[in-house]
Amino acid sequence: MNWDWTFAIHTVMPRLLSGIITTIEVTILAFLLAVLLGLPLMLLRVGKNRSISVIVGEIVEFLRSTPLLVQIFFLFYLLPEVGITLPPFATGVLAIGVYYAALCSEVFRAGFEAVPRGQWEACTALNLGRYRTMRDVIIPQMLPPIVPSLGNYLIVIFKETPLLSFVAVAEMMQAAKLIGAEFYRFSEAITLTGLLFLILSLICAALVRWVEFIVNRRIYR
Amino acid sequence: MKTPKIRFDKVTKRYGELTVLDSLDLDIAPGEVVAVIGPSGSGKTTVLRVLMTLERINEGVIWIDGEPMNRMRQGDALVPASQAHVRKLRSKIGMVFQSFNLFPHMTVLGNCIEAPIHSLGLPRAEAEARAEGLLAKVGLADKRNHYPSQLSGGQQQRVAIARALAMQPEILLFDEPTSALDPEMVGEVLEVIRELARTHSYTMLLVTHQMGFAREVADRVCFFEGGKFVEQGEPNAFFTQPQSPRAAQFLSKVLQAG
Ligand SMILES: Nc1ncnc2c1ncn2[C@@H]1O[C@H](COP(=O)(O)OP(=O)(O)O)[C@@H](O)[C@H]1O
Ligand SMILES: [Mg+2]
Repeated sequence: MNWDWTFAIHTVMPRLLSGIITTIEVTILAFLLAVLLGLPLMLLRVGKNRSISVIVGEIVEFLRSTPLLVQIFFLFYLLPEVGITLPPFATGVLAIGVYYAALCSEVFRAGFEAVPRGQWEACTALNLGRYRTMRDVIIPQMLPPIVPSLGNYLIVIFKETPLLSFVAVAEMMQAAKLIGAEFYRFSEAITLTGLLFLILSLICAALVRWVEFIVNRRIYR
Repeated sequence: MKTPKIRFDKVTKRYGELTVLDSLDLDIAPGEVVAVIGPSGSGKTTVLRVLMTLERINEGVIWIDGEPMNRMRQGDALVPASQAHVRKLRSKIGMVFQSFNLFPHMTVLGNCIEAPIHSLGLPRAEAEARAEGLLAKVGLADKRNHYPSQLSGGQQQRVAIARALAMQPEILLFDEPTSALDPEMVGEVLEVIRELARTHSYTMLLVTHQMGFAREVADRVCFFEGGKFVEQGEPNAFFTQPQSPRAAQFLSKVLQAG
C-alpha cells in the first residue's frame, strides 16, 4: 500500500472534515426523530385501542424486518414518484429516523413493561388520570433503565450513516468515495474515514456513559 | 337503617376457573372500622382491590353511599359505569398497599402533592401545606425532601398513609400494611393507623394478620374464607368465642404461631 502523507493531510482531511459535519447532523437528527417518534409508537402499541395497537405492531414489525438500505432506496426513489421531493439529506434523515423509531419503540416498550404494576395501582388509587399517570409516574421511571439501549442506538445510527452515500448524501463516506473517484487513490480517504469513525464512536460512547451516570445518580439516589 | 357507606351486593370475582369472591355480601356503616382476617390466598386482598376498582368484578354491585360504583343509574336500570362515574366515586376511597407503592422518583413531598394537584386540582401551595400537615402527623415532617429509597420500610409506609390521606378520602383501605416490614417497624405504622381509627371518622377496611391489633382497633371482625365471610362479630366475642369451627381452627393456628 502506498501512502501519501501530503495528499492525506492537505487534500483528504479538509474534505472529510466537511463530510463529518453532515454525518454528525444526520446522526443527531435521525436519533431525535427515532426517539420522538418511537415513544408515541410505543404508546399507541400499548394503548387501549386494539386495532390501532395491531396496526402499529405490524408497521414496527415491517420496518424491523426489512434492510435499512432497501428502505433508504425506497424513500429516495419512491417519494418523488408520489410528488414529495425532499433533498437527499432530509430523505436520509427520514429513512434512518423512521427505521430506528421502530427499534426504539421496542426499547421503550421493554422499559414500559418493566415498571412495576404497583405503580399503576397507586395511580388508580390516587385517582390520577391516564395522562398524568403516564407523564409523571410511568415515563420518568421507564427512561433511566433504557438509557444504555437508546445510547447504543445513537452509536449504531452514527455507524450506519455511510449507507446514505448510496443516495449521494454528502456525508463522510460519500466524501471519501468522491476523493477516490477524483484522484484514483482510495487508501488515504478510506483509512482516514475509518479512523475518524472510530474516534467519534469512542467519544460518543463516553458521552452515553456519562449521560447514564447522570440519569442514574438523579433518579436512584 | 342508615345507608351503609360500603355495600357489597352479591359480588362475584373470578380469575379464570377460580372463584375468589363468591356472591359476597357485606355492609359497612359510616365510620365503622372493619378488620378482615383469614388464611393466606383466601381473597382478602381481592375484597379491597375490587373496592378500589383495581379489578373488575364479574357479577354483583358495589355501592358507595347508596350509589352503585361499578354501575350507574339510567332511568330505573343499572348500566355499566362510565369512566367519569367510577372516578367520582373512587375519589372517596384511599388505599394503603402492602408494598407501599410509593413513587421512587419523587420526594416524600412530591409523592404527597402529585394527586392533590393533578387529580383534585389544588393549587401547589395549598397541596404542599396539606401534605406538610399530614407528614407532621405521621411523624415525618423532617423527611419531606428525602426520596423513598432513603427511608426505612416503616417510614415509607407512613408516607404512603400520608399520601392517601392527602386526597381526603372518606374510606380507607389497608392491605396488610405491616406485613412487608421488619418487626421493629410494625409498631410505628400501627400507631398511625390506631390514631386514625380513634380520632377520625374514616370508614376503614383493614386486612391484617395482627390479631391483637384487629381486636384493639376494629368495631367488627370479619373472617374470610372460601370466597365468603364465614363469620363476623364484635372483636372480643370473636376472638374469645368464635362460633364457626373454621374460624376457631384458624385462630388457634394463628395464635399458636404468633
Ligand atoms: N391477577 C390474578 N390472576 C389470577 N389469580 C389471582 C390474581 N390475583 C389473585 N389471584 C388468586 O386469587 C386468590 C386470592 O388472592 P388474594 O386476594 O391476594 O388473597 P389473600 O389476600 O387473602 O392472600 C389467590 O388464590 C390468588 O392466587
Ligand atoms: Mg393479600
